[in-house]
Amino acid sequence: MKFKILKALDVAGLQVFDPVVRLICGENPPEQFRKILLFIGIPIITFLIFIGIWTYLAPRHTTKAGEVPTPGVVKNAADGIWVFHVRENQKAEDFLLEGPAREKALAGVQARIAELTPLASAARTKLGELETASKSQIDQQVGPLQEKYNALRKQTRADEKAREEALIAQADSLPIGDAKARDAFLAKVSEHEVKSGTEKQALKDFKSTIDAAYADKFPEMESVRIQYNAYEEELQYLSKRLDYLTEGNQSVKISEGQSELVDLQSAFLTAEGGKATLKAAEKVLKQEESIARIAESSYSRPWTFPRQIVRSVACVFVGFFIGSAIAIPLGVLCGISRVFMAALTPLIALFKPVSPIVWLPIVFIIVGGFISDPETAFVHPAFLSSAITVALCSLWPTLVNTALGVASVEKDHINVARVLRLGFFSRLFKIVLPSALPLIFAGLRISLGVGWMVLIAAELLCSSEGIGKFVWDMFNNGSSQTFAQMFVVVFVVGVIGLLLDRIMIVLQRSVSFDGAPTAI
Amino acid sequence: MIDNRYVEISNLVKAYPNPFGEEIRVVDGFNLTMQKGEVIGVIGHSGCGKSTVLTMVAGLNEISDGGIVVAGKEIDGPGPDRAVVFQAPCLLPWMTTFQNVMMGVKQVYPHASKQQRRVIVEYSLSVVGLADAMHKYPREMSGGMQQRVGIARAIALKPKVLLLDEPFGRLDSLTRMELQDVILGILDREKITTMIITHDPDEAIFMCDRICMMTNGPHARVGQVMSIDFERPRNREEIMETDEFYQYRQRLLQFLDDCEAEKHGKGPIRFDQPTEPAVVQVG
Repeated sequence: MKFKILKALDVAGLQVFDPVVRLICGENPPEQFRKILLFIGIPIITFLIFIGIWTYLAPRHTTKAGEVPTPGVVKNAADGIWVFHVRENQKAEDFLLEGPAREKALAGVQARIAELTPLASAARTKLGELETASKSQIDQQVGPLQEKYNALRKQTRADEKAREEALIAQADSLPIGDAKARDAFLAKVSEHEVKSGTEKQALKDFKSTIDAAYADKFPEMESVRIQYNAYEEELQYLSKRLDYLTEGNQSVKISEGQSELVDLQSAFLTAEGGKATLKAAEKVLKQEESIARIAESSYSRPWTFPRQIVRSVACVFVGFFIGSAIAIPLGVLCGISRVFMAALTPLIALFKPVSPIVWLPIVFIIVGGFISDPETAFVHPAFLSSAITVALCSLWPTLVNTALGVASVEKDHINVARVLRLGFFSRLFKIVLPSALPLIFAGLRISLGVGWMVLIAAELLCSSEGIGKFVWDMFNNGSSQTFAQMFVVVFVVGVIGLLLDRIMIVLQRSVSFDGAPTAI
Repeated sequence: MIDNRYVEISNLVKAYPNPFGEEIRVVDGFNLTMQKGEVIGVIGHSGCGKSTVLTMVAGLNEISDGGIVVAGKEIDGPGPDRAVVFQAPCLLPWMTTFQNVMMGVKQVYPHASKQQRRVIVEYSLSVVGLADAMHKYPREMSGGMQQRVGIARAIALKPKVLLLDEPFGRLDSLTRMELQDVILGILDREKITTMIITHDPDEAIFMCDRICMMTNGPHARVGQVMSIDFERPRNREEIMETDEFYQYRQRLLQFLDDCEAEKHGKGPIRFDQPTEPAVVQVG
């Protein structure tokens, strides 16, 4: 059992947890503690230091989207993203509920609203009280300061004026043409200006202390405000749910439509006269059509971040598979045939360094030529173009590695094939491909990593729904909350990239026949 | 007639161009005839072209001049009728022992049923003493065991000629002795026409019917051919106790020394019959 777990950890590239497992099994605890400290403790400490530096530095830089978010703010933003996602799912579910389930959900929502309303109003009154209290407190604090400031300003102005007048009087008596006397006067004027400057600065400083007092935040008030906002938000969400459980509900809408249809049908049955009958018939048909439309309709769910993540991962895999489907056969041909290799080398060398930013617009236009109407198309052209861009940028490592792997099959193994007179295909599938497989997978692993990096940029540029689009939307929103959500994206992208890499490592190891440890 | 001249190597030449574009004849005029079921050892200093001759017989190395006829047919490229056991086991690491042997069997017996092929594979593996390790991967086995698989793979092909290219070269001496006994047993029983490349005189005397001593390269050729007249089946201990063994051994070492001396320009070398394989009686 223990060795099975250790083996699994080893294959998954998670050897860091090896000492933990050994410790649980009671194998040489001091040694395991030392290892845990080294492989788990130190990374955690580093991470904490990183968080600490971040927390310290972030509030010290103010941007037009507010302060740079601290880890706490980013955590809140992440929670917010998740709550939004859960709520949207709930609404979508509500839209489709019918019968007793709908009534039960309705009762639940109503109960929650009844529970929350008094809390919210209490919070509101409390907030109002605190606001007036804080205002009066500020006024008290600021009142004397303000008076002092006013007096100081008056004094300064008077001083300045007096100095100016004295200077004018002096200037009146200056002899004309006396350069020395005029130089002395110039020095005096300059002295006067410097003095006015320092006085003005002192006034400004004073003023800013008053402003700071106004901006003083009362922690108690802030927490009540946050609480109140949370109540209000939930209430709003509940009222939306209420709507989807009653008037906006699909089954309710259908039953309403159907009762209307019954009326219309009976009207049609009893209609008299050509014109009226025709009109009644048209009405019946129209109503039937509208019911069918409602039955087909679904809740128009917005693209929440988790859904965009799923879409991005789907997109990267589509691109990755397209890329691999091109790269592996081409690589095998390159490895087998020198002619083919010579033919492809210039193309590979030319296209390999091209940036995704260049490929994307080209691909976008070409794909757009095939798909005229994005709404009815089987795949959205933006999705397809990002996938193809991923494919174009990620196929090179696989291609080169496959060619290398196929070309460098051990000569001994080729000799075996020659002695046995294996045919082309059994030589390919029994000797060449298995022996090239570890290198091919190493290439695939690099490709997937490249693809994931390219994808985010591609989505951002061609606004295909996904993580890249999310970042772009958040950037355009420009509020402090969306700023924090962009930080969440950084971590999500990192974690998913890491997971993709781990998956590839496991695959790579499972095909590597010599059991050689793969570089992590 | 064919049985007496089962394998005929006549005037075999291997030439490589040197960096100046001149032709260097590594092997020059190698002549040898093998009877059916005969075990021939090829011995010589390293680098004299022993392996080149063997790979040419196997068809893995192009023949520059001369010809090789096996069972009345001139060879053309490699084929399963001339099975090779290399110095390295050359097993495919992604296949089990069984699969490694089966790959060749499938190729040689295309019309046999699955059951028949299975029997062949299992038999040849049990001959080399690997009946228990049939489903192991090469990385799970020692070098000696891997080499046994290589031998099993070769004999499973039922080859006309078995070519052994220093099959014990990379093994420690204990494993080497074990494996020599395994091969000797197979040769005693199956009577496969065999060519063994070696640079170990004891091994050559112990296993072969005739030993072909090669001169030093370049222009390597057959120096002397010596018959070893021990009865088969042979037994290592018994052979070691005979006087003949030491005479054969003396003669071989003498030849090798002479070759070395000639290389340094110290003395002539005795050629018996340059074009026809000579049978030298000792004793």
